[in-house]
Amino acid sequence: MFLHDFLHLPVRLHLTACYSLLSTRQGPQVALTPAAQARVFKYEGASGLPRGLRMSLNLVIVLCLTAVLGPTLVHTLCSGSTDANKVRLSIKTALGDEAYDWDESEMFLFKATIAFAMRKCNKKQYEVSNIQVCNATQRVSFWFVVTDPKTEDLVSGKDVEKAVRMSRNRINSAFLLTDKTLEFVNIPPTLAAPVKPATPPWLIVFGVVIGLVGAGIAAILISTFIQKKRERGGIKEREEDEEEEAGQRNGVFCTVQEGADSNINPGFIEDDPFTKL
Amino acid sequence: MKRESRPSWEKPAQFVLACVSYAVGLGNVWRFPYLCQMHGGGGFLIPYLIMLAAEGVPLFCMELAIGQKMRLGSIGAWSAISPYLGGVGIASIIASVYLCLYYNVINAWSFWYLFHSFQEVLPWAECPLNSNYTGYLDECGKATSTQYFFYRETLNISSSIGDGGGVHVGQALCLLLAWIFVYLCIIRGVTSTGKVVYFTATFPYMVLFIYLIRGVTLHGAMNGLRYMFTPKLEQLANPTTWINAATQIFFSLGLGFGSLIAFASYNHHHNNFERQAIVVSLINSGTSIFASVVTFSIYGFKATFNYESCLDRVRLLLLNNFNLAEDAIIADNISYWVTELNNTYPDQFADLLPKLEICDLETELDTAVEGTGLAFIVYSEAIKNMPLPQLWSVLYFFMLLLLGLGSMLGNVTAITTPLQDIRFVSHNLSNEATNGLVCLFCLLLGLGFTTRSGNYWFTMFNDYGAAFSLLLIVLIEIISVCYIYGLKQFEKDIEDMIGHRPNWYWKIAWACVSPLIIITLFIFYIISYIMGGTPTYQAWNKDLGQSVTTAYPPYAQAFIGLLLVSSIVCIPLTALCTYCSRQRALSTVSI
Repeated sequence: MFLHDFLHLPVRLHLTACYSLLSTRQGPQVALTPAAQARVFKYEGASGLPRGLRMSLNLVIVLCLTAVLGPTLVHTLCSGSTDANKVRLSIKTALGDEAYDWDESEMFLFKATIAFAMRKCNKKQYEVSNIQVCNATQRVSFWFVVTDPKTEDLVSGKDVEKAVRMSRNRINSAFLLTDKTLEFVNIPPTLAAPVKPATPPWLIVFGVVIGLVGAGIAAILISTFIQKKRERGGIKEREEDEEEEAGQRNGVFCTVQEGADSNINPGFIEDDPFTKL
Repeated sequence: MKRESRPSWEKPAQFVLACVSYAVGLGNVWRFPYLCQMHGGGGFLIPYLIMLAAEGVPLFCMELAIGQKMRLGSIGAWSAISPYLGGVGIASIIASVYLCLYYNVINAWSFWYLFHSFQEVLPWAECPLNSNYTGYLDECGKATSTQYFFYRETLNISSSIGDGGGVHVGQALCLLLAWIFVYLCIIRGVTSTGKVVYFTATFPYMVLFIYLIRGVTLHGAMNGLRYMFTPKLEQLANPTTWINAATQIFFSLGLGFGSLIAFASYNHHHNNFERQAIVVSLINSGTSIFASVVTFSIYGFKATFNYESCLDRVRLLLLNNFNLAEDAIIADNISYWVTELNNTYPDQFADLLPKLEICDLETELDTAVEGTGLAFIVYSEAIKNMPLPQLWSVLYFFMLLLLGLGSMLGNVTAITTPLQDIRFVSHNLSNEATNGLVCLFCLLLGLGFTTRSGNYWFTMFNDYGAAFSLLLIVLIEIISVCYIYGLKQFEKDIEDMIGHRPNWYWKIAWACVSPLIIITLFIFYIISYIMGGTPTYQAWNKDLGQSVTTAYPPYAQAFIGLLLVSSIVCIPLTALCTYCSRQRALSTVSI
């Protein structure tokens, strides 16, 4: 229980407390000179210590231990644990000139968004303090673990993954980043489902073009057909005209007889001029 | 009924544009830049231009002269030169049929890509996701998204030529559209073709010009252009360079198919084809060079883009593994950091070594691609990285479409003209009906190329269908014109048509230089066929995400043999038939 209590304290506090106890550096909290330290340890084994001093000594020792072990514990919880997730941000790639610097406040925002994601998914009251971060690098990458608000156990990686997937969009937009520039290394992004229109668009264009070409061919064929018909009609007329002229040029005028005999060649009969079309 | 006179071009310009449209095809865009790259960049222009003068222009002029003089398609023209040579015309037609069958499939692919460009995100820009949306599909992850789109979504290619599959419905629809389009353009023969070529001959130049401006302003284009224009003159000592230059000129001008004879047969008797031949050949070669400038600027852009992406990946890898601040490593100081980190953390660095890519701009530029791979994979990869990719994609595939269509017009005319010369056909069927039947026939057979293994058959037709037979056809053409018909008679005919005799350049080229070059090419082809061993093809392996070299199975090799032999064998067969029928006629007369 002690250990869990101290884990809530910022790691830095632990470290500075420890350093101030174990080294000559003056720390903000407890300032014991090396002589005093020696006296502390010398008196450790002594039975003649007053009770209050012994208790405070125990406290200091425990403090030291957690200071040393605490970060290590968080460290092993973080990167050693299978439930930890690595996050990598590429802010400069995403935003270029408008890139913001990654500082404590941004880290706080990150923890808050993860806590938000966990709340959305699990419906439990996650706090910012439930998100532990470690191994931050210049790349802007770090590992994080999530602890349960009530039981202080680590939340399994699968649940974290589920929560992150659910609110991925919100997390991305909190940082003005995208799936590619805010990477959760073990959580591959769900790619957007492709939009499939009812009719493939190429068929529409195809239909238009083939309709136009077909109409063109039909138009040409019909006009050719009409032209040929007219020509045939015109040729017959021309043929009749030629033969009639030939008849005229020959100077042969045949009179039309009603009920003509078969020995009169109708081709050389001059038609009545008024019936010509 | 009065006999209609032979239709003709409304203006000589239509004839020139038709020839330009026919000659300037996809080969100018996807074969010439490849050859330029393989054979020393700017230095390749030397053998190319020499071959143009020695072989290209004379043969082109000869075909135009024959067509214009005889005023008949290829069968009639060669029968007029000598009755035993009708087989040359038939061989030309068969080669044209083979070409028509598979060439329009390329137009179908252009249509497919063109229609797919009307989307917000180009479908070949990103890999599709796998079933649980956690990553990309395996096949797409191993290959690139453009390769995946071509092999899987466009072709749905099977793993070998033996695994046929069903017809790809989208491809079949696009092929149908391509043939309907061709029919619309040739429906009334020369009168409709003459109007269409105004557009098909000029629009590709507009697009190329726009692309030139876009290309040279792209980031990294100068790398590609510098690579192309730095001549590597030692390549000129390599005989393959000269052979490839000669072959490229030969096939680029479209000699031997009978299309030029067909086009020229619709000319007026006194059309000055000599000047037109020079103009068209120069335009064709100029377009090749122009297109390769555009291609190399785009190569440079693509190579620079890939190189910088590679550097970025390496930088991220180092940053993430060594947890350095984001702005510590930039593209310029990566090599410094690599040595620094190697010295500071040797163990950690050694672990990282397998994942560390080596980024080299020269290697990226060296990846030479030709053919459909260049047009549909490399170019679309470059386009997807440009700003406003939909516009560039639409422009580019529309240009490919027009280039392919222009060549198709010539090839289909090469088939329909001799057919219409046959009295039986011209008396019983109208112009439109003949053209329609030819298109329908080619469409139905061409559906075979839209099956899952269709691309492998396509490659087979592309490599073996026309190349070898064309060389033989043109060789027989030039020898028969010079030595059977007689060069003197030919000169007289030309003087009759254009008013002056051909000068010494033409005569030397026709009589000596061109036949020698073709004989050399012919021998080279035969040797490479024999020495090449079992013919192989590139099969797409979807597990590896790349092409693997596979040998053709025996039935496919037999089919290759059939392709090679089927058009050539017409020549001796027809000569034999003519001889036999003449003997019979003589014997009946004498009896």
